[in-house]
Amino acid sequence: MNLLRLLQTIDRRYLYALLILTVVLPFFMHIQLPVAIEPATEDLYDAVEALPRNSFVLLAVDWSAGTRGENGQEQMAIMRHLMRRHLRFGMIDFADPQGKQLGEEMALQLEKQFGYKEGVNWVNFGYQIDMADYLKSFVLNVPAQVKTDIHSTPIADLPVMRGIHTMKDIPLLIDITPSGSYQTFIQFVQGPYHNTVKMGVALTAIMAPEAFNYLDSHQLAGIVPGLTGAAEYEARYAQEYDPSLVKGSKVTQYSNSSSFAHLLIIALVIMGNVAMVLERRQNRPGRRGAH
Amino acid sequence: MADFLHNLLHFVPVTGPIEWLYIIASLLAVVVLIVILQSLPQQARRPMILVVTFLGGLFYALEFLLPTHHMVVGKTPMSGNFLTPGILVFGQLSPIIAGFGIGLGVFNLVQIHGKRVIKASTGAFFSYTFFASMLAMCTVNILQQAHPNAINKNLNTLLFDGGLQSLDATMFSIIAFYIVSAAYRAFRVRSLEATLLLGTAILVMLGQIPIGTFLTHALPHALRIEVIRNWILTVPNAAAIRAIAFGLGVGALAVALRIWLGLERGSYFDTQ
Repeated sequence: MNLLRLLQTIDRRYLYALLILTVVLPFFMHIQLPVAIEPATEDLYDAVEALPRNSFVLLAVDWSAGTRGENGQEQMAIMRHLMRRHLRFGMIDFADPQGKQLGEEMALQLEKQFGYKEGVNWVNFGYQIDMADYLKSFVLNVPAQVKTDIHSTPIADLPVMRGIHTMKDIPLLIDITPSGSYQTFIQFVQGPYHNTVKMGVALTAIMAPEAFNYLDSHQLAGIVPGLTGAAEYEARYAQEYDPSLVKGSKVTQYSNSSSFAHLLIIALVIMGNVAMVLERRQNRPGRRGAH
Repeated sequence: MADFLHNLLHFVPVTGPIEWLYIIASLLAVVVLIVILQSLPQQARRPMILVVTFLGGLFYALEFLLPTHHMVVGKTPMSGNFLTPGILVFGQLSPIIAGFGIGLGVFNLVQIHGKRVIKASTGAFFSYTFFASMLAMCTVNILQQAHPNAINKNLNTLLFDGGLQSLDATMFSIIAFYIVSAAYRAFRVRSLEATLLLGTAILVMLGQIPIGTFLTHALPHALRIEVIRNWILTVPNAAAIRAIAFGLGVGALAVALRIWLGLERGSYFDTQ
């Protein structure tokens, strides 16, 4: 087999080994690359910044462990910002029962840094099903629809829910999801309450291109697209509040691995195509050396 | 008796010993309803389904379309019409009904895997695994809810966080390997369209990563890779996605209308 044919048909096991190396090696290297903050990410950051202190934010934790690499980092970045801005937030999960657990763990991890307390500054509404019907009722009367939090405490008794009766009392909704669940929120929450509620999404990179439509029509206030978006959000937060945050952070490490993996795919695709073109030229009829 | 009927018809929450009366009465009513539905002749089932479907859709459609005015439901001021209080009631009923779907799913799985276990057919090992993991997860979770002591909590953490979440992340991570292999083999420039697709994909991928940003940071603003990527996503891509979304929306509306009006053919509406 000649070299050109070989370059087009590399055994997939070698490709898998290369991928493992490119993902793992950056964890042992200290690389700090500049992050360019996209307008969509900046818009969501600004939407959070613009909220008065003690405003309530609804955080939809519609992800599971499968997309922890992207959605998990987005959630950490956004939650950190909410806590820094002294904003109350309530988590709700429609997609997978894991989301309520993952969101709870992240909030418990972060709350110590900012002196937050569950029930006082944040609450977990838990996992709910039948999203469309639930939301139609949720927007009309939040305490009546939710009733209790994840620990079975009546939410009407919680200090964090003071003044929250309907969706009009919640100025910002952020959906962190790997799916199209944000479209149901747009349909039943942002649409009817567009005068009082802003909405942002934090999506996996593969779903982000679909959401730019809604950004264009101002139905979304901002988008955090994938791991890159999480890195941008964190960088923007670091610019304003904590410049030491990005040094050696998890998002930076994961972002480096993601960058190298992307470069590997690009390199392999280019190599395969160059080899294909050269082989075609070599095999053209009448050329010396053609088979 | 008048209070009982009033509470029943207006879905007023009750507490105390009378709650058991309502639970027993509801269970009896459900059993009677199931017996009546099961004894209906085949010809009566389709009209029954059509009427219930139509009334369900009509409620939400009318609630949306009828004029609204300021009103107070309970102590909560809102904007609505005479049907709006019903939204709150159905908002609590529908998750219960959807929960039945989960029960039905479990029943279905037990039926399928149970047959495999009884017949000892090929793949019965996986059916045994299914039963063992389902029982383990259910038992541990129920114990943790009923008696949240340290042992039950740790068991739940081991199975849920350590087992389920780790396996979920692993299954998703495998996709990365398939993507590398598939992209390497499939992305070949055999035509002009394929070349355009490949070029655009490379630009977007490079614009997505900090290394790409670094490579072009010295260029004029309009030529930087992240600016080009942003333009691709917000202009041509958004236009194409918007067109697809319009088509999907119109299609979904047509299908929804057909289902609401009972014009759709399928397992629910045709004779079994």
